[in-house]
Amino acid sequence: MKIVVCIKQVPATGADKRYADDLRLDRAGVEAIINPLDEYAIEQALRLVDDGSVESVTYLSMGPEQASEALRRALAMGGDDAVLVTDPALAGADEWGTAKVLAAALDKLAPDVALMGMASDDARGSLVPGAVAAMRNLPLLSYGAELNVADGAARVRRLSATGYDWLSAPLPLVATVTDQVGEPRYASLKGIMAAKRKPMQTWSLSDIGLSADDLHGAALTRVTDTRAPEEKPPTERIENLPAAEAATKIADWLTTRKLI
Amino acid sequence: MSNDILFLAEFTGGSPARSALELATGAAELASQSGGSAVALAYGPGAADGAAALGAHGATRAIVLGDDDRPAIAYAAAVVSAARDGGLALLAPATPNGRDVAAVLVGTLDLPAFGPVRAARFSEGTIETEQATLQGSVITTSCPVDGAATPSVVLVLANTFTPNEGGSGSAEVSQAPAAEDLAFTQVTVAESHEADAKVVNLEEATIIVAGGRGVASEDGFGPLRELASALGGAVGASRAAADAGWIPYQLQIGQTGKVVKPSLYIGAGISGAIQHRVGMQTAEHVVAINKDPDAPIGEFADLFVVGDLFQIIPALTDEIRRRKGT
Repeated sequence: MKIVVCIKQVPATGADKRYADDLRLDRAGVEAIINPLDEYAIEQALRLVDDGSVESVTYLSMGPEQASEALRRALAMGGDDAVLVTDPALAGADEWGTAKVLAAALDKLAPDVALMGMASDDARGSLVPGAVAAMRNLPLLSYGAELNVADGAARVRRLSATGYDWLSAPLPLVATVTDQVGEPRYASLKGIMAAKRKPMQTWSLSDIGLSADDLHGAALTRVTDTRAPEEKPPTERIENLPAAEAATKIADWLTTRKLI
Repeated sequence: MSNDILFLAEFTGGSPARSALELATGAAELASQSGGSAVALAYGPGAADGAAALGAHGATRAIVLGDDDRPAIAYAAAVVSAARDGGLALLAPATPNGRDVAAVLVGTLDLPAFGPVRAARFSEGTIETEQATLQGSVITTSCPVDGAATPSVVLVLANTFTPNEGGSGSAEVSQAPAAEDLAFTQVTVAESHEADAKVVNLEEATIIVAGGRGVASEDGFGPLRELASALGGAVGASRAAADAGWIPYQLQIGQTGKVVKPSLYIGAGISGAIQHRVGMQTAEHVVAINKDPDAPIGEFADLFVVGDLFQIIPALTDEIRRRKGT
């Protein structure tokens, strides 16, 4: 049983981020980390290794060359090897372009489960896992609070409107997990040392059977403009008042805005 | 190629989700700009009988994909078949189910995807969307690249459109074309469990009273429930409160919980970490009550009340009941 965990390197949460003049995200000089929600996918995969239901874990990322740092950090948590797909033609990839590349790389790696985090910190569509599943015509089990694999199938526990369900589908498939799978483990010093010797391959587009022409600039969408959000009025503060007076002031504020 | 605007209309327990009504109205608005019709793709329990009534909210036609209680992803193949027949854009709710189906469309038909969007319009026959990115610090405008296939897939947050009420129109109902044989139909519900307590759908609430670490216990949510009840709203929580087991995860607001867009959000004992903020920052009015005068939520709330929530919230509940005469 083999799992490939797809991870993305993102700007650190809270880092100062902006769009460059070419309307692409300016990543220069910004501290980069493993997308925090991908760490839960790593943790889930490693737990399946710990309980003996999975034999090998490979990490896959698409990004610039420095994304190899994120892969090295993942390897320090555990797992066997890593693949970075990097190519100048991939700058400015959107969700469709990213999915196209990951799907082609996963065709080559052929895992039983391609596992991903539920969302990325720097984009909010959460469409890449499902698009990858569609491109490979594999089932998708998404938003799992827990994932297990047995007898040629995988199951995820997923919150429903009124409780939770266990969803099931035959392998191979694509799955995503949430932050409820358990806190990601820290990389130990031994893990960090071991990670330096774990194999890491770098693939270009041609290594996964794609060409820049197939990818139309790796995006079907383009950003045409960026601007600052509308200015909000400054925060009004209520301080140092007894509770009853504070409550009256809050009620006045709500009444003025027709919220009561 | 038709100029229609398609939208996903999810049904549960015999009736349409609120998102179906909102998207019917949103699709009708966009269709009036594109010169087409609003077309519902209806699925889930109640879809067969209820699809025609979406006409009251703006749908001109409704295609029924199925009436069974299956995972939304299992309907994705039928959505793909319907989308192949045309349409300039397809609106999907930015919920886990809506995103699953939208993603399948993007991957199967190689379609451009946008969102979650805060606004959408047609400009010279092309869809143009606005979305907040980089944790809300930048608004970007996006459109499809030249020659991109249609429909464009657009994720829409709850409460982006207000459903038209009081209409009497009836959508013309048709059955779906045969669903394509895609792998997604293999996803099944193996087991289903009900939560201990009944939980509301927070995405549909227009007033939310949310509690965080400062609420300090399961019982601490009591005063918040009273306030929510006085206001006619629902109770939500930060991840810290859900992790502590004080409240079910279905009520968690934030990056890994629900993304809400109520007209009023009251946060009590919530510090306002970025992971929570991205789940509620599009609320129209934000009130925060916190004993820490330096809590980050004080930087983006419209009204920041520094004080003890256990004193202020009961007093506020009494005051609201007095004014409402209840």
